[in-house]
Amino acid sequence: MSGWWFVGSLGEALFFASFFLIGVMCFTTIVGWQFLSPTTQVVRIGYGFWLLTIVSAAFTVMGAVGFWYRVLKVATSDEHREIIAKHGLVSRPNKPRNKVLLPPMVPLLTPFTDSPGAKLAYRLPGEWPGTGALISIGLFAMAWNAMIAVFCVFAIGGLFRGEIQYRLLILLIPGIYIGLRSGQLFFRSYVREIGIGSTTVEIEDLPLVPGRTYKLLLVQYGRLVIKKLSIRLVCEEESTYHFGTDVRTEREVVRLQNILELGRSRIDWGRPLELECQVSIPSDAMHSFQSIHNAIHWKIIVEGEANRWPSYSRSFPVIVYPLVRIKPVSQPS
Amino acid sequence: MIRLLGLQPTYMSHDVLEFEYRVSNIPQNSIAAVEVSVVWLTEGKGTEDLGVHFFQRLTGNSLAASDWSIPQNVQVPLPDSPLSYEGRLLKISWCVRVRFYLNDGTELVAQQPFYLGTITREV
Repeated sequence: MSGWWFVGSLGEALFFASFFLIGVMCFTTIVGWQFLSPTTQVVRIGYGFWLLTIVSAAFTVMGAVGFWYRVLKVATSDEHREIIAKHGLVSRPNKPRNKVLLPPMVPLLTPFTDSPGAKLAYRLPGEWPGTGALISIGLFAMAWNAMIAVFCVFAIGGLFRGEIQYRLLILLIPGIYIGLRSGQLFFRSYVREIGIGSTTVEIEDLPLVPGRTYKLLLVQYGRLVIKKLSIRLVCEEESTYHFGTDVRTEREVVRLQNILELGRSRIDWGRPLELECQVSIPSDAMHSFQSIHNAIHWKIIVEGEANRWPSYSRSFPVIVYPLVRIKPVSQPS
Repeated sequence: MIRLLGLQPTYMSHDVLEFEYRVSNIPQNSIAAVEVSVVWLTEGKGTEDLGVHFFQRLTGNSLAASDWSIPQNVQVPLPDSPLSYEGRLLKISWCVRVRFYLNDGTELVAQQPFYLGTITREV
C-alpha cells in the first residue's frame, strides 16, 4: 500500500471537518446571540430556536466523529486501531491481576452456571426460537385490537346518537377480521408453546472440554404421548455480513452427534419423563468462539414429536473450552 | 522478512512464539515507525474480525536505538484461544505482521501465518 490511496479518505476527513466547523459556527451563533444580545436576536426561544440548536449540535457531533474516524483510519493500521479501541489512546501500565484469566474470545460461563440442577450440577438455560415470534404476534394483536376497540366505541356512540358513520363501519369490517385472526394466531401459538410442557436439561459439569464425557439428564414435563424424542449435540457456525444495506446472519451446522433416541412414550402431569444419558465431546472439537461478526456455538438440541401436537425443537447452549483449559477457579464478577 | 524460529509453524497454547524480522535495502534513517503484531483474523462468509494478541510500535528513540542491519528478535507467549480453525462459514487464522512506515509515506507490510492448536482440518 503506497502512493495516493489515502486521498479519498483525506477528502472524507475534510468533508467531515467542514461539517464540524459549520456545526460549531451555527451553534455558537445561535446560542451566543441568544445570551449576549437578546434584544437583537433573530430567532426567539421556541421551536425554531431549539430545532436550529439541535441541528447544529448534530452537525458538530457528526463532523467530529466522522473526522476522527477517517483520520484514525488513514493514520493508523488495523492492529493499532484495535489496540486503541481496547486500551485507549494513552497506554496504561498493566495492573497486577489476581483473577484467573478466561480463554480469550470464548463466551462467558457465568450465564450457564448460575442455575444449579436438581440431580446434576447445572441446569442449562434454554433458547426458545418461537418466543420472539410469539411476543411479536401478541404485541401486534394487543395493539391492533385496542385500536379497533376505540374505533368500535366511536362507531357505537354514533349509532346511539343516530349518526351512522358508514365509512368508519366499512373500515371496521376488515379491521375486526384482522384483529380476530391475529388473536387466534397468538392463542394458537401460545397453546403450542405451553401445551407440550417445559423441557429441562441438566449437565454434570461445565465448561465442556474436548475428549471428555459428561452425564446429561433430560426432563420433559406435560401431559402428552411422545411419538419420538431425540437429543443431539450440535456445533453451529454463525456469520454476520452486510449485503447491500441489509445485515444478514447465516448459520450452518458443522457437526451433529446423536446422543439419545427414544420411541413411543407417555407423560402425565406429576410424572415427567426423565432420561439419563451421556454426551461425549469429540477430542478434535473446536471450542466455543464469539467475535463481533462470527461465532461457533455448541448446543444440545431436544427434538420431539407428540400426538396431537406439532413437532417441537428446544435448544440448550453449552460452552466448550479449548483442551488446555480445564476449569477456571473463579468467575469474574 | 519474518522468520519463525520454531521447527514447525504449529504452536500449542502457552507455547512461546519466537520470531525474527528484518528489512533490507532500506536506509535506517528513512524508517519513520515500525509496528509488530501477532494477530488472529476471521475469514469467510461473515465480515472479517481481527484480534490483536501482541502489539509493539517503535518510533522515535526506540526506533533509533534498534540496529536494523541485524534481525530483531521477538518472543510472545501464545494464549489459550482462539485456536486456528477451518470451518464452512468461517476460518480463524493467526499471523505475525510487521509494518514499516517510511518517511516518504510508503508502507511496507509483511506477514507470516502460523497455526495455533491442531484443529486445522476442515470439519
